[in-house]
Amino acid sequence: MSRYITYCLVALSGVLLLLLPLLVNPGLVHLAGVTLVMGVFAVAWNLLFGYAGLASFGSGGLFSLGAYVMAISLRAGYEQSFLLLIVLAMVTGGIVAFLVGAVALRRSSGIYLAILTLAMAEVLRQILMRWHWIGAEDGLPNIVRPHFSYGLGLIDLSSGARYHVFLCLACGLLIAAIWWIAHGRFGRTLRAIRLDPERAAFMGVNTYGYKLAAFTLSGVFVAGAGALYAPLAQIVTPDLGNMLRSTQPILFTLLGGASSFWGPLIGGFLFSAIEYGTRTLVGLQEIITGVILLAVVLIFPTGISGAFRKLFASLEQGEPAPARKVEVSDAGRLGKPLTQRV
Amino acid sequence: MLFILINSLTMAMAVFLVAAGLTLIYGIMRILNFAHGAFFMIGAYLTSTMVGQAAGSVLMLVAAALAAAVLVGILGLAVQRLVLRRVMNADEHYMLIATFAVMLICVGSVKLIWGLDFFSVDPPPALSGGVLLGTVFVPSFSLFVIASGVLVFILLDLLLQRSWSGKMLTAVARDGWMAELMGLNTSAWIMLAIGGSFALAGLAGGLLLPNQTLTPVLGDSFLLLAFVTIVMGGLGSVRGAFIAALVLGLIDGLNMIVMPQFPGVAIYVGMIAFLLLNPNGFLGEGRL
Repeated sequence: MSRYITYCLVALSGVLLLLLPLLVNPGLVHLAGVTLVMGVFAVAWNLLFGYAGLASFGSGGLFSLGAYVMAISLRAGYEQSFLLLIVLAMVTGGIVAFLVGAVALRRSSGIYLAILTLAMAEVLRQILMRWHWIGAEDGLPNIVRPHFSYGLGLIDLSSGARYHVFLCLACGLLIAAIWWIAHGRFGRTLRAIRLDPERAAFMGVNTYGYKLAAFTLSGVFVAGAGALYAPLAQIVTPDLGNMLRSTQPILFTLLGGASSFWGPLIGGFLFSAIEYGTRTLVGLQEIITGVILLAVVLIFPTGISGAFRKLFASLEQGEPAPARKVEVSDAGRLGKPLTQRV
Repeated sequence: MLFILINSLTMAMAVFLVAAGLTLIYGIMRILNFAHGAFFMIGAYLTSTMVGQAAGSVLMLVAAALAAAVLVGILGLAVQRLVLRRVMNADEHYMLIATFAVMLICVGSVKLIWGLDFFSVDPPPALSGGVLLGTVFVPSFSLFVIASGVLVFILLDLLLQRSWSGKMLTAVARDGWMAELMGLNTSAWIMLAIGGSFALAGLAGGLLLPNQTLTPVLGDSFLLLAFVTIVMGGLGSVRGAFIAALVLGLIDGLNMIVMPQFPGVAIYVGMIAFLLLNPNGFLGEGRL
């Protein structure tokens, strides 16, 4: 039953997002677009974290890579092949992620992998900041929103509302692709590896190969999100790939719940709602965001979607779920089992 | 040449001062503390409030930094009581997110209390000049930073490796359950180490104050370098962090000579290369 509720909710929010330009002012539409792109970014990151159990802290680098590929080609005048450019950005992200993953996954894991990827993203940012051909620290401004013809007729995305509709469709496609990957045989194998790498290897699974494939696929979709972001913001700067950007999908994912496919999206929209609601309060904004995050970590370790699932479960059984017990076993399921530690 | 050497040593010691507390808290609690940079920043702001526009003398700066260290240490104990203790047994990603949340709260509080304006503090008169070493002019503030870095390292190393309490702390970190059976008050020792770790962050903030501009994003720039340092040195090892800081400083110095148009890149490239060759750091991962 709860599956149908999920489908209905997803369809409903999709339609709502699509119709948003008719309902609210352009500022909010832009914000919703940015949040949607960041949501796709977070879902792609969670393919790596929630399914393969690998925490990359350098995904911001891949995001800015996608955005820069798109920005450079749009400014060079390849507007006509906009859809191909998205594919190009995704392929570039995939190649870079493959190269990084091929070396990094073989040599490191856990915190070392996190710091390694963080450093790699930082190298990319430092190079982007110093490279004058692509604008150095100022980035690339005035990116045109494309305007192209495809067989049937002219497609003009230059207005904010039209680009928003295109963005919704494109993000929907990307999310559908990730859903398909995560819910098939591949996603199940990744989960098996995350839960018990040794046993998976024993069953004949090439764990390194699967992890590398997940790393590459995640890179493909992260760069795709970056490519969609460039024409939306119309400016790209090296700060797109800074440490805060890389931690954003992590926050979204943990806020929404890493064990759920939709968790990162929910977390993303919740996060920007909080930020939007507190935007006028200098300083208080960070405090409120921080307190909410802390509350989530301390009270609902499975994120918002985990809390909802618990609620559903208790409604269906007609009795309140034993909160404390479920919480502990859920936290254990997400990562390594809870062991007695200092 | 000597000038660049002094510069890189200064940077190395500045980074070490920040990294020391970070590696200490990792050694005892296995927490990669994202909030460390924020507490470093709070230490710097507290010191600036105490000394005003310009520190009167070196002694006054050091005293203010020590006072800031104590205050930040107390704050750290509060964080431990309210947050860290509760997530200690959870998955490490939750610890990461919890410390990230603490960092957000700290940055927000700094913005609320001190505002968004830039502050800067001049070094005390005794340190604002320079010394001639042979033919090279060396700013005396650099010498001050190098001296404090080395001093903090020696004191910390003596405390951890030679003293009785250091041995107790090591015992608690290695096997808390056993240490508790032996009659040690483990939670008190952990509190002590955590307070010490946060105090080190505050101290670093105070000591490094005079050559920075104080902004609410001050913590980030140092945090990343400190992460790189402790990962290179082997997480949890103070000696490793010291060596790694020196190596990073020298790499950065070389970067200045060889590729002056891309400053700051070589540190990360060096660290990536190093980690790929030697994934466990200089001295291996250890619990203190």
